[in-house]
Amino acid sequence: RYVRQLQRLQLLFSPTAADARGARQFVEEAAQDFARQHPDVVLYVSPHSGPGPAPVLRAEYLNGTVREELIASKTSEEIVQLVTKLANQSGLDIVRIRKPFHTDYPSVQGQWHPLTNKPSILTVQGPRLQPQ
Amino acid sequence: RRSEKPNWDYHAEIHAFGHRVQEHFALDLLKTAFVNPCYIESEEARRRQLGLDKDAVALQLQDNSGLAERGLRFARAYLAQCFEGAYPQLPAKGVEALVNFLTSQELVSYVAQNLSIQDLALCRDFPAPPAVLQRTFLAVVGALLESSGPERAGIFVRDFFIPQLIGKDLFEIWEVVNPMGLLLEELTKRNISAPEPRITRQLGVGTVLPVYFVGLYCDKKILAEGPGETVLAAEEEAARVALRKLYGYTENRRPWDYSKPKQGLAAEKAISTN
Repeated sequence: RYVRQLQRLQLLFSPTAADARGARQFVEEAAQDFARQHPDVVLYVSPHSGPGPAPVLRAEYLNGTVREELIASKTSEEIVQLVTKLANQSGLDIVRIRKPFHTDYPSVQGQWHPLTNKPSILTVQGPRLQPQ
Repeated sequence: RRSEKPNWDYHAEIHAFGHRVQEHFALDLLKTAFVNPCYIESEEARRRQLGLDKDAVALQLQDNSGLAERGLRFARAYLAQCFEGAYPQLPAKGVEALVNFLTSQELVSYVAQNLSIQDLALCRDFPAPPAVLQRTFLAVVGALLESSGPERAGIFVRDFFIPQLIGKDLFEIWEVVNPMGLLLEELTKRNISAPEPRITRQLGVGTVLPVYFVGLYCDKKILAEGPGETVLAAEEEAARVALRKLYGYTENRRPWDYSKPKQGLAAEKAISTN
């Protein structure tokens, strides 16, 4: 069954800073809808008062990776898109995928080895040849 | 520990856990499932150290050993039944080996860690040792059994334990010391004569890396063929290949059937055999 890999989202922003305006709008309008649509993600909203660090969205995944995204000067819709993107990701590192294909069963009829199509010593090969 | 860092709400996390696994739990059963006996002892010791009186010392929490035991028994019975249905030729020792592997500490604690049980489980040490994680996960299975009934719990066990067998070979899990002897027993049960080993192909006989392919023939018909470095190793490998074919655990068998079960007879039988 499908298990969503996002465990919890922590939204750290400041109620007065100018660049956290999108974050504040998101909290007022869209955060509840998001939480209702994704009941398996725990959403923590923690405003820290006063001029603090930039507003950040911290995502924790089931395999332990913590991903921080800056949401300074982003509109509410952009934050919604970002949040859905994080919710659909898994916690694996974002590295270049070396090849876009993978298979658990690389061979269906058996991998070729130098003896595949050679007849065995025991098979009878003609009317006069005898097996060993 | 995650519960000691900021932004932690235990009730919300447990609620989210239920939704993440797509199962509906009775929340108080689930909360008891996460409480381990070592946690209760450490809490009582801490309260006694802080100097509270005896009544306040006794915590109102029950621990999860009963739930864990029930979960373990149900999981073992259900998995044994699944394997007997899917591989009817496999002997009892093989089924037992598979079930033991699936309920072993490393596997269960690996599954539990990837489901964030290590954050929710209340225990004394950090990080939680694999035995504690195994007990907590089986207690979760037991809690599911109590709250939703044996059918849902059976589907849960199937969905989380059986994919761990993907890619694994039978004899990696089940240690067989004498495959030739086992093969002889199987063949006598089916009234087939004893196998005759013959060298089918050989490469590089005089070199450091020879390869011998030994085939097992019963009544002049081929049973199985296996490679090996020496003739004896090749014969043993051929016996293993023959056993895999007989038990139906080859690499090209049909994959496991994860469709919705009919009418839950299987899970009820699991409960009645407990």
